[in-house]
Amino acid sequence: MKLHSVLTINDEAREVLAPGAASLLDVLRDSLALTGTKRGCNHGVCGACTVLLDGRVARSCLTLAADVGARAVTTIEGVAGVDAYSRVQRALIDAGAIQCGFCTPGFVLAITDLLTRNPHPGSEAIREALSGQLCRCSGYIKIVQAVEHLAGGTHE
Amino acid sequence: MQYIAPHSLDEAYRALEASDARCLAGGQSLMAMMNLGLVAPSRLVSLRNITSLRGIEVSADGGLRIGAMTTHAELAALEVAAAGPALLAAAARVVAYPAVRQWGTIGGSIAHADPSADYPVALVAVEAIVEIGSAAGVRQVPAREFFCGFFETVLREREIVTAIHVPPGPKHGGAVYQKLSLVAGDFAIVAVAAIAGPRVSLAVGGYGPIPLLVSGIATTDDALLSAGHALANATVPPGDHRASSAYRRRVLPELMRRAGRAAADQRPG
Repeated sequence: MKLHSVLTINDEAREVLAPGAASLLDVLRDSLALTGTKRGCNHGVCGACTVLLDGRVARSCLTLAADVGARAVTTIEGVAGVDAYSRVQRALIDAGAIQCGFCTPGFVLAITDLLTRNPHPGSEAIREALSGQLCRCSGYIKIVQAVEHLAGGTHE
Repeated sequence: MQYIAPHSLDEAYRALEASDARCLAGGQSLMAMMNLGLVAPSRLVSLRNITSLRGIEVSADGGLRIGAMTTHAELAALEVAAAGPALLAAAARVVAYPAVRQWGTIGGSIAHADPSADYPVALVAVEAIVEIGSAAGVRQVPAREFFCGFFETVLREREIVTAIHVPPGPKHGGAVYQKLSLVAGDFAIVAVAAIAGPRVSLAVGGYGPIPLLVSGIATTDDALLSAGHALANATVPPGDHRASSAYRRRVLPELMRRAGRAAADQRPG
């Protein structure tokens, strides 16, 4: 049974027709072709599918699309716009914190959520905030350094 | 699959009358099970619009009534003095990782009843009461009886966990939740929830299908260790991809000593 709903994605109202059991991840990738959000483990462990729901970090694979309701969805495509980078993305690039890049969209959103709530997190808070994001190139050091740079630097 | 999001408990009970209907709380366990093909409900009854399931009430004695749809993040942010609620807040802080804590709920977690999860062991240690609603009314079940097997609870069809009652615990008590896991955010290899008054009560999780409770232990290292050895000798914990059965038995006494000691040390004087 297909379910019709209207979701707010990156500040745009999007009409979605998807199976009732579809996850938000299914809808983003398969219905809306927003493939920046990655499908890794598909059961909540890896963090590659991370998006923001009402500004707060969420696993899109563990979110039933039909249950999103009025909550605003932000995906990696929505953090800066086409051909632009957010300061989080820029910091990751500058720190060389990207290897294969598969985990990067999830990290960008997790870091964005962290810095919104806590503009100057310490080292422990950074690691804690990123504990649900797996990088299998194991490039964590550079990623943490990028966030430390943002946390200690001047903020726009 | 059908999706329904009622605004009241009465509507939710009616919606659950369909065969193979299930409640959807925060979805952090159920969606994983659906994605893995382990369950395929014909109808999901979302509880997120039912406002009576939200909120934490603090009673005059320092105990809590926690609405079932309260998230782990909300519980983790609690700053409470009483030992019982403090233990629960400590457990909530180490449930999985931020995204799961943001959307996962205590009601959903205990209804799922993963034997390595954090709330079952904490709720057994604090002697919490689980409030269960249905069209027939409300019943209250002690946490110790609520969890009755591997991923099994006493919940019957068309029943919903509506709240959790947490007593204040001993006066000037101490409370510690310690979790041994492979990496931050993983389920526990072994978890110990300790609550200390003049004596120590310990609940152990990740160590069998349901949490084990040991009460009335003296606050000395020797007493805690020997209670740990007695429990390790009397039980055969499961072995899995996280740790062998022998490993769990080996670490149990020292984990019980540390948690019990730390809880006792929090007491004034």
